[in-house]
Amino acid sequence: MREKGLLALIFVFFFVLFSPAFAQKTIKVGIVDTYTGPATTFTFDVRDAFDLVVKDVNKKGGVLGRKIEYTTRDEKFKPDVGLAMAKELLLKERVDILMGTINSATALAISDLAKKEKVPFFVTFAKSDKITGEKGHRYVFGMNENTEMAGRAAAYALSKMPYTKYWIAGDDYEYGHAIASAVWRHLKRLKPEVEKIGETWWKVGEADFTPYITQILAAKPDFIIVATGGAGMVNFQRAAKATGLASKIPFYQHTAIEHSVLSPQGLNAPEGVWGTCNYLFYYPDTKENREFVEEFRKAYNRYPKVGALYGYVTAKFIVEGFKKAKTIDKEKFIDAIEGMSVDSPVGKLELRKCDHQLVLPMYFGRTKKVGGWDFLIAGDLQTIPGKDYMPPCEEVLKLRK
Amino acid sequence: MDLYAVLSQILVGLSRTVILFIVSSGLSLILGVLRIPNVAHGSLYMIGAYAAYTISKYFGGQDTGFWVALFGAPLFVAFLSFIVERSVFQFLYEREHLMLVLLTFGFSLIFGDLVKLVWGGEYKTVPVPRIFQGYILLFEHLHLPIYNAFLIIIGPVVALLLWLFVNKTKMGKISRAAAVDREMVGAVGINVSWVFGVTFVIGCFLAGLGGMLVAPTISVTLGMDHSLIMESFLIVIIGGLGNIWGALLGALIFGLTQSLGILLWPQFGIVFPYAAVVLVLVFKPKGLLKSTW
Amino acid sequence: MGKKGLIPIAFLLLLLFPFFLPRFYVYLSSLILIHGLLATSLNFVLGFGGMYQFHHCVFYGVGGYTTALLLTKTSLSPFLAFLAAPFASAILSILMGVICVRLSKLYFGMLQISLGSLVWAIVYRWYSFTGGDDGIHGIPIPHLLASTNSAYYFTLVITALSMFAMYRMLVSPFGKTLQGIRDNPVRCEMIGVNVKLHQLLALIIAGFFAGVAGMLFVIVDTTVFPEMLFWTLSLEVLIMCLVGGWFTFFGPLLGAAILIILRTIISTYTVYWALVLGVIMTLIIFFLPNGILGYIEEKLKRG
Repeated sequence: MREKGLLALIFVFFFVLFSPAFAQKTIKVGIVDTYTGPATTFTFDVRDAFDLVVKDVNKKGGVLGRKIEYTTRDEKFKPDVGLAMAKELLLKERVDILMGTINSATALAISDLAKKEKVPFFVTFAKSDKITGEKGHRYVFGMNENTEMAGRAAAYALSKMPYTKYWIAGDDYEYGHAIASAVWRHLKRLKPEVEKIGETWWKVGEADFTPYITQILAAKPDFIIVATGGAGMVNFQRAAKATGLASKIPFYQHTAIEHSVLSPQGLNAPEGVWGTCNYLFYYPDTKENREFVEEFRKAYNRYPKVGALYGYVTAKFIVEGFKKAKTIDKEKFIDAIEGMSVDSPVGKLELRKCDHQLVLPMYFGRTKKVGGWDFLIAGDLQTIPGKDYMPPCEEVLKLRK
Repeated sequence: MDLYAVLSQILVGLSRTVILFIVSSGLSLILGVLRIPNVAHGSLYMIGAYAAYTISKYFGGQDTGFWVALFGAPLFVAFLSFIVERSVFQFLYEREHLMLVLLTFGFSLIFGDLVKLVWGGEYKTVPVPRIFQGYILLFEHLHLPIYNAFLIIIGPVVALLLWLFVNKTKMGKISRAAAVDREMVGAVGINVSWVFGVTFVIGCFLAGLGGMLVAPTISVTLGMDHSLIMESFLIVIIGGLGNIWGALLGALIFGLTQSLGILLWPQFGIVFPYAAVVLVLVFKPKGLLKSTW
Repeated sequence: MGKKGLIPIAFLLLLLFPFFLPRFYVYLSSLILIHGLLATSLNFVLGFGGMYQFHHCVFYGVGGYTTALLLTKTSLSPFLAFLAAPFASAILSILMGVICVRLSKLYFGMLQISLGSLVWAIVYRWYSFTGGDDGIHGIPIPHLLASTNSAYYFTLVITALSMFAMYRMLVSPFGKTLQGIRDNPVRCEMIGVNVKLHQLLALIIAGFFAGVAGMLFVIVDTTVFPEMLFWTLSLEVLIMCLVGGWFTFFGPLLGAAILIILRTIISTYTVYWALVLGVIMTLIIFFLPNGILGYIEEKLKRG
């Protein structure tokens, strides 16, 4: 039939029109991330902070005489789209480095691609501990904390608190279960007398937490570990406030104190919620952090959130890595950044050689109202340095076997 | 499984039912009278929530903001739908259903991206007004937030108003007649196009109202239209197309199986509402109550 | 030369793609073929059978997961794993078809969506077996099919064979009856055609070939995830049928090509792909209700 011929003609037309890139004089970074839907509140910051560093470096003449160029693709939280876009960036745009994605499924799929194609891939928000754990390899790098790290850090801090009767609750999906089980496993290890008196799980996207909260209140635990993610963070805090839970039983959520969670609630967020996170724009109150916040605010007129740190550090590693390698060869680049440290708003950060996981300090504290801010911030802060909570190299490498 | 857990799940199922009902009744009205399976209905719900955020913020972010938004947000959605109806949909009433599904899906894509353009990617919240803050203690253990109690009351009120509109007003009667035989209604000299327009706008108003009412309990995010639209369609189908009480019944079934299913079998809690829909359609293929089709 | 003569030429051209196209476009062509096959299998029941199969991707996903699970969890021969996919999908089609076929139009579609969502929920939540929302990645593919080009050839040959099989079925007496049922089910019933049985058969065939497409996806992308069975993907495939022309045989393939190429191009420039797609869809439905190929065919017929 004629249509097939027509079809072929259209194919050829498009392929000729959009033929691949030519010889390059730049270092190309391809970012695949979700820029549609609820995840955007996190992903825009990664991209924007990355952009800040890249602009600055390019203004100063680039790296190895080359400018850094980056391009983004919206995967819409769909792994098949994300993977196809990663392939497009790699094979058509010929990017030297891949980074991105908040979606663990996409990150794992792209990681597999990066391994086959031998291209460095920096994961900048996906929290699955499989990425640098069980499924880790030479070409993948974890630039944010994962569920295992968050769990260990929380367990470390909670083990120093007087509570013994715990309740566990959370979003019923991979992330929720992974966080909760990591916290609990390590808390039990550090403080064997803790006791779990019950568990509650709700569907992801649950808007109404009342029945679960009622059930928990009736059981009278000392403390609740709440494993929510994304919009569930805010939704649970709102419900905890509306039902009075927040003033009755203390609870912990990973990232509860983070600006993405607190700023949308304004002054209506509950006080006294314990949380951990990797970045706060007001803490530590160092020169580096102040400068970064100021620069970020000048460019985008908002406070940087945790994603900004991941974007910033990733850009730094790319720049410093190529500088150190003195060549654009990818293998030499990887050799160079293994075990390397860069400066960041939260101090020097090391990319571990053994598992390619970034060692990040974790801040632990609880929400409170402070005059002068029109949102809650974290108080009673303590810094848990990487050495106190990072999973040891041997343990991670054992998982890979 | 203790009695409290069941009871509190039922209470929550009820407040969820209210939101589902308000949105689905609008969808049902549009399907029943205009025969448009409006996939963009979910987007209007989302726009309602975002409009509630903007309006409430503009009026100080507290009590006044909430009350202005309660009427302002749905009206804004109604106005938006009026424009869309007059400029596009009114020409498409006779098209194949599948075409309409995809056309309105196209609109939902457009609306989704427009929301992103206008409001950006950050989470938004709408504060609960002061008189609805706090909770009521039922049976000593049950903490029911006052706002949820407010929702449970408002559901039947909307149902009643809608019933009065459809059965007691001239407009409602004409639209019901038009649903059954639009040519006949046109033949007696009534401008069917305007009847349809008004019905469409009322349906969309309900979507906006649903979005506005849900906003104080959740974080308003992009993509909140997605799961809701599918649920609303299923509710309308099992209730009986175009039947307002059917939408209420469908929403009850959906809301309650969802919340009780989680108690029964936590890991596969999300399966129960779908299973309920399958059961209803297997035994009552045209829905539980009389459809206008 | 008749129109049919163009098919072998097109096929030959497609065979030559890897010789002159860069690797990415070979990969993209594989994706287009897979989605084209998926859309054609949907159109088998949608355009030619008149059944609103709203949630067709379930069979695609089940095919993909069958292959993926057999490849990762058993030591079965890979080719048996490939072969198992369409049959798993066909069996699911029988189960769902028997329940759905009693209804028609919108009711059929909604029941089908509910049943499909049940399957999706199970895949999405059964962590220990399906990997839950993370999916399964790095699926081991036989060395022979691992490169982009060999995966493309495999996809091309299987897609061509499947399309040919579906085409033969549509021009067979069975296909004619099916189209008759679409146009006038009541009359068909009266002249003694077993309408439901024909419809059920069509559903099984469509499910079978969707399973083939799912299997091909695993070979090309070596990964599966629950989004493959989510209703939004089903809607996208419906759009492919509609854009290409749902009363033509090659329309869905054309639709798949257009959508995938557009997505690839537009995402390079903007994150507002949904907006662009929405506008394109609206325009096509407004001005070309029979799709692009439908419009071309009409023009050609009129001379």
